[in-house]
Amino acid sequence: MNQVASEVLPLLRVVGLTKRYPGVTALDTVDFEVRPGEVHALLGQNGAGKSTLIKCISGFITPSDGEIYFDDDPVPPGDTMASLSHGIATIYQELDLVEELTVEANVWLGHESRNGPMLDRSTMKARTIELLERLNHPLIDPGARVETLAPAAQQIVSIARALSRNVRLLIMDEPSAVLDDKEIDVLFGVVRRLTEAGVGVIYISHRLEEVARIADRVTVFKDGKTVLKGAPANTDPDELVRAMVGRRLDRMFPERAEATDRVLLQVKDLTRRGAIHNVSFELRAGEILGIAGLVGSGRSELIRAIYGLDPVDSGEVIVAGSKVVPGRPDIAMSNGMGFAPEDRKSQGLLMDWTSARNVTIADLRSFVRHLLLNLRLERKKAKTHLESIGAQEGAVDKQVRLLSGGNQQKVVLARWLLRSCEILLLDEPTRGVDIGARAEIYKVIGDLAAEGLGIIMVSSELPELLGFCDRILVLRDGRLVRESPAGEITEEEILNLSIRAQATVSEDS
Amino acid sequence: MNEPAVTGTEPLAPEGFARRIRLQEYALVGIVIALIIAGAITKPDAFLTSDNLFTILTQASAVGVLAIGMTFVIASGGIDLSVGSAVAAAGIAGGVLADGESGTLFILGALGFGVLVGVLNGAFITLGRMPPFIATLAMLAIARGLALRMSGKTPISVALLDAVRWFGNGKVLGIPAPVIVFLAITGLGWVLLNRTTYGRYVVAVGGNKEAARIAGIRVQRTIFSVYVLIGLCAGISAILLSGRLASASPVAGNLYELDAIAAVVIGGTSLAGGKATITGTFLGVLTFALIFNLLNLLNLPTEFQQIVRGVIVLVAVIAQRREN
Repeated sequence: MNQVASEVLPLLRVVGLTKRYPGVTALDTVDFEVRPGEVHALLGQNGAGKSTLIKCISGFITPSDGEIYFDDDPVPPGDTMASLSHGIATIYQELDLVEELTVEANVWLGHESRNGPMLDRSTMKARTIELLERLNHPLIDPGARVETLAPAAQQIVSIARALSRNVRLLIMDEPSAVLDDKEIDVLFGVVRRLTEAGVGVIYISHRLEEVARIADRVTVFKDGKTVLKGAPANTDPDELVRAMVGRRLDRMFPERAEATDRVLLQVKDLTRRGAIHNVSFELRAGEILGIAGLVGSGRSELIRAIYGLDPVDSGEVIVAGSKVVPGRPDIAMSNGMGFAPEDRKSQGLLMDWTSARNVTIADLRSFVRHLLLNLRLERKKAKTHLESIGAQEGAVDKQVRLLSGGNQQKVVLARWLLRSCEILLLDEPTRGVDIGARAEIYKVIGDLAAEGLGIIMVSSELPELLGFCDRILVLRDGRLVRESPAGEITEEEILNLSIRAQATVSEDS
Repeated sequence: MNEPAVTGTEPLAPEGFARRIRLQEYALVGIVIALIIAGAITKPDAFLTSDNLFTILTQASAVGVLAIGMTFVIASGGIDLSVGSAVAAAGIAGGVLADGESGTLFILGALGFGVLVGVLNGAFITLGRMPPFIATLAMLAIARGLALRMSGKTPISVALLDAVRWFGNGKVLGIPAPVIVFLAITGLGWVLLNRTTYGRYVVAVGGNKEAARIAGIRVQRTIFSVYVLIGLCAGISAILLSGRLASASPVAGNLYELDAIAAVVIGGTSLAGGKATITGTFLGVLTFALIFNLLNLLNLPTEFQQIVRGVIVLVAVIAQRREN
């Protein structure tokens, strides 16, 4: 296929594409092309620029500079309709199907066939069946509601929807994340049929073995730039991993004291079916423990289970001599734990409330005097704690929705400072936080560890984990595949453990 | 009851959302004043008498008590459609238990039955994982049916029960007892919402369940409690109503749930939960009571009254949208 593909004109050509955000260049003069009938894989760590590129191509964001050509015609920037009419279709990781509607209704959503004012159900049904047959999935019932289908079948419906618009370039953002091995085989069959018909495919994945199986060429992103352009897909995996690592992150980590030997938390054989399997480890006072792994590797599920937020199937979490009760975060909290969730907006904060109230909510009882809340004392304490970690001046009386990501994270941290907890669980504490505020947040966390707290930190940023943590746990598919002192493991090793199949790992799992 | 501001150094700035609520409260204060002025102009001799003002508050008391409870339910992100029926069922339960002899038993029966309805609602919603709208809609029908069944479809007289009659007609220092009860419940509701951990937890649960859970709040327990609270309010409301009418009727309290919800919503408590004001609810109750009284004094037909009430709800909610 490669020889054939290389002789024809590229379907899509991206020239000097740049996207600048305040303080960061997400895409830096990127050149990129897709030929008809080829699968071009994009690789790179979180934040490397893959998503920004495909969003520019599909018109969701407007690039700061550079051009996109389709069939050598310039595509107007930031125009999703123009991209659609060129036959560019995107399938996102989170499926964007309307679950309550039928397969047929989803396929034709937004461009239904009509007979005068009425829906032309028979034509749509016939064409849906035709599309599903073309995808080799005649067994999917066009009248079935999408929510009743398995994830793989839903993925097929998404593809059918793309085909119903006469797709010529299909962009797939981690389509395999929700699929099991058999379903992935099915998906790849569909992708091959599409490419045989001349459709070009951009395929984003974190799994190297998949890329080797399905892709014709590979482009690797790092820090918004392409570091490996259009290399053949059979490029040595080690070389691909080397290209992905070594990102720059300014020296912003504070000096750290040694962790103690006192065990604060024990996790024993913790299992939650479909999320985490037999995970065991210990956390010591004064230690910062980093958890690495891909999104979906069970990182968030692990610390949620430790905090008692989700049910578990077996295993236990022991803190301060007593067991954490699954489903009872209030008990975890009274045992000295604090938790800062991944999504501050939807899980961590009451966005309409002031910072003060968000800080005090977990320790409200300490402000009760003669049965009533002492509001003055409450605000004063909140203010003291917000100031001690360098939150924006005047933040105390502001609604948190008006604060920056960094200040919002400080509000969450101030809450647990106020409670003076012993164990702090942080899920992506620096996501959406600008560089300046990051250094401050690292300092706060470092100071807390120095005071003897035990800290568990989940992060997608490998340099952050390596530069800041004492010890690293690497998770893949819900299993603990490596536990190592931060100084004895490299970014490359973590990445290999996270994204590559069994080959390198047998001793722990 | 505001905290005294420390002048000069650190004024206690009203918080963002509190400030917005206050804006709406001011608007409602404006409406209330406008209604009072309108009444004073059109009916100078009848409207602005202390008798009439006490009449207004007395008439408002039964729905008013429900509206205070409803403020907590709505703040928690829920709704209770069953309160009107619960008032009737609680009154009948009290009447049956008292058997025309014991005022104390009537009061205990009414309060107990109100709480029972609340406990059932809370159980269906938390343990049964039912949406509050559905669970309380079902209870609306069940409680009304129970009231009719227990009473044999006829009102039960409480004319001889002095303790119950006092809650309708009694006076303390010239102030009618139902007015005192309504104002006392409003005051307690205000303290509970604004000055206790419980009130803060209710609003937190309504604002963001997951965030509340992570902050160690027992979310399901809190939700359960607000339905028990409004059930208790339904019991109190039944006592006030039966005392005033000298009988407990199985058809009492019809559509009270909508009057209570309307008062809460125009007061500025968010139907989406997470934002609540007792002061606003009180002003909302007052607004509807003034309109009712004024249109009665002016001898305007009741259908006109309903239209005016509907328009006020629309205007208030549009005003709320604009502020958001």
